[in-house]
Parts: sequence; C-alpha cells; structure tokens
Amino acid sequence: MILPKFNYKKAEDIAAAIALYEKAKGRARYLAGGTDLIPRVKLRLSTPGTIIDLKGIEQLHTISRQRGSLIIGANVTLFELKNHDVVKNHFPALYESLDATSCETLQMRGTIGGNILQNTRCLLYNKSLEWRTARGFCYKMGGESCNVVPGASECFSNYCSDNALSLLSLSASVNLAGPGGERKIKLEKLFSGNGRDPFTMRPGEILTEIRVPVKASSGAYEKLRVRNAIDYPLLGVAVSIRNGSGRVCVGGIGPAPRVYPLKDLSKTSLKEVAQHARQEAKPVSNAALSPGYRKKMVQTLTQRAVKRALKEEK
Amino acid sequence: MKAVKVNFRINDEPVALEVKPYETLLETLRERLDLIGGKEACGLGSCGACTVIVDGIPLRSCLVLTPEVDGASITTIEGLARNGRLHPLQESFMEKGAVQCGFCTSGMILTAKALLDRNPRPARKEVVKTISSNICRCTGYKKIVDAVLDASLKNKAYHINN
Repeated sequence: MILPKFNYKKAEDIAAAIALYEKAKGRARYLAGGTDLIPRVKLRLSTPGTIIDLKGIEQLHTISRQRGSLIIGANVTLFELKNHDVVKNHFPALYESLDATSCETLQMRGTIGGNILQNTRCLLYNKSLEWRTARGFCYKMGGESCNVVPGASECFSNYCSDNALSLLSLSASVNLAGPGGERKIKLEKLFSGNGRDPFTMRPGEILTEIRVPVKASSGAYEKLRVRNAIDYPLLGVAVSIRNGSGRVCVGGIGPAPRVYPLKDLSKTSLKEVAQHARQEAKPVSNAALSPGYRKKMVQTLTQRAVKRALKEEK
Repeated sequence: MKAVKVNFRINDEPVALEVKPYETLLETLRERLDLIGGKEACGLGSCGACTVIVDGIPLRSCLVLTPEVDGASITTIEGLARNGRLHPLQESFMEKGAVQCGFCTSGMILTAKALLDRNPRPARKEVVKTISSNICRCTGYKKIVDAVLDASLKNKAYHINN
C-alpha cells in the first residue's frame, strides 16, 4: 500500500517538536512507533502534511522512580516496559495487558504513549478510501450519519488500547506538553467520550510521561479476542486491588474506557460491580463478535478478572 | 517534498541513499536495493511477511519509514547465509519441511532469529508465542515451530556466530 505524500522531520527535543508542529500550521502528526499511525495514513484516515518523528527525544525514552511514582517516558516500548522489574513485581494487571497487546514484534516497536493515544476503531471505519467512499462517510470521517447504527446521533467506535485499562486501574496520571505549556492530568481526563475525536488533548500537545504510584497491587487483565495474537481487544477488563479496595476498568466497547471503584471485596459488591458494568456497556455490531455476546462477556470477564486478582492476594 | 538523505548498513554493507520522506523501508529494500526477500502482504502491519531485523529487533518494514532507520544496522533474509553456508534456521526450515507457499518464510525465519539471538534455547511455548507475531495462511505452523526448535538445538558455537 502506497503512502500519500508528506514531509518527514525528526525532533531532537520536545520544544523542537512543538515548534515543528506550529510551523506545519496544524497539518502535522507526531510519530512514535508508527504501528497505529502508519496504517491510518496508508488508509487515508489521517492525511498529515508533515510527520514529526519523536523517537530521537532521549527524555521520552526513560523509566525512573520519583517520590513514590514510576515515571514512564511515552516512547518506552511495550516490550521494554513489560520486562521492567517494577511492572513485573508491583503491577500484575499492567504486565498482563502488555503481554496481551498485539504480538511480540509489534510490542517491540509500539510505544506506551502511542498505545494510549491510538485512535478508536470500527469495522466500517478502518477501511480503504475506496471502500469508505463507496459506503458513504460516517461521523468519524466527517460525514453526517453512522454506518453501523442508522439514525444514531453519536459515534460508537471502540477504544482498543489494552494498557490504558490497566493503567487506569492503577490510578495513573499523564503529563502533556504543548504550545500552551505543560499540564498534568489524571488518565481518565484524557478521554472525551466522543468517538469522532476521542481525546481531550489540545492541538500540538505531546504525551510526555505516564506516572503510576508505586504500591504493590494484585491484579489481572482479561481480554476477549479471536486469534490470541496480533488482534485488538473486542473487550478488555483490568482489575487492580490495593489494600482491600480496587478499581475495575472496562474497555474495548465504545470510545472511552469506564472505571468502577471496588469499595470492598465482598461477594455481593463484586457481583454488583460486574452487573453494573454489563448494564452500562453498549456494544454495537462494529467488531468481529456480536454485540450481545460482548455485552454478556463484560460481566463474565469482570468476575473472572477479580477472582484471579484476589487469588494472588492470598 | 524534500528528499531525505539516509545512511545505514544492510547485511553488513554500508548504504547511502536519498529517499522520499514517505517511502517505507519495505519499498526501499525491494525497489531500490533489489532485496526482495521481504514480502508485502497486508501492508498494514498485521501479517509480518515484511519482517526485517533492525538493530537486533524484528520490525515490520511496511510500517517503518526509511528516514526513521537512518544510522541503523539492518539484516534481511539475504544476509543470513555466511560463506556460502545457510543459517541453521534456514537449514532446519528445509529439513523439517516448514515451507509451503513460502510467502511468510522470510518473516518467520527473521522473527525466529531475533528470538534465538536473545534466548538460544527457547521452550516450545515461547517459540509458539514469538511465531504468533507472523501469519502463515497455509497454516503450517506446527512444522515451523518444529524447525525453530530444531535450529535451537544445533551446534551452539555456530549459532552464536550467526
């Protein structure tokens, strides 16, 4: 598949990258691993005039510990992060979600920042330009209807990051740097809930680091998939438990992950959370499995993940 | 669009090129350098038929822009044989009949090589996990896994030198 024409620029540091973005007058895209961006550009889902490569920025490629937090640079690859001691020993949910992401080869290329900021997906959206033109453009392509649910007023594309779910369950926060300066927000605040434009990032902002409080946790990640390698989650559930309470995060259905607090670990409250998660999940037929099955599996996988997480704690 | 100058090593030979900024590594290898071992199948990073090794890491060359690999050291399937002798993995693939149509083979061998380079004696489970990065649409995975395990048991010294 041939790429459309664009310029290639490599940034040496974050300020230079932002300057390049401003020079391109908004028609630029940041490139890290490229495992999400390049296929999108090939399919003409994104048509940047300039691609700004962030891989030369050393600062984005480090993992450090500071004031009780693990600070993960956005350009750390999924494979490097998976093999990091703190992740292995303290964050089982994150370890499992990293291990379940795509396949080893793509884990070695894909970065944690890029994984969080991957665009939402839909069976009728991630297609070639010819296919989409024949079908008619949907909301996400700038059109005025949804091709999956006729008459719908919103976009139902699915957010398919595995690792954002486990990071949410671990109460992570992210640092953003852009033309308007730096800001630090909770990971939850990154999602707009609107499938057309799934993130609350301002133009030109770069996700620079992810902060996770270092406290031993027990946890698990359950992923519904059909091939067991390379594929995106059709549903993902991450659970992390610290000191008798925890967080459940459900994703892969709809444009933003949903977080549910687990106040205590009694059987009744576990069941309530699982049922509540199922009720709130609104899958539509825009993925490889039927919406009914995916909805049912929300409760099943939530219960399964919590059970596995609790066993580890004992 | 301004051409980009790149310098890298391919199969231990230095290469200096001027490429289009929107050119993928796969295009450069196949169309400029006649290294046609890497194949384009899906073109979207799903299948792994275009895998090459860049700085010791297996990469899907259809997802990598050539300007990104400036300064890197690249190994393609053409660079595995040494002094007229095939790499143990290539021999094992032939001995075990792990090739059907052959389209995925170069990607499979390079993905497996990267595994054996970091873990010379993988368990069957680990081989399966690594090989699941690549798709063989003839679905002959069993013989491919057998071949990788067979190669891992061959002469260790020879293996490390390759």
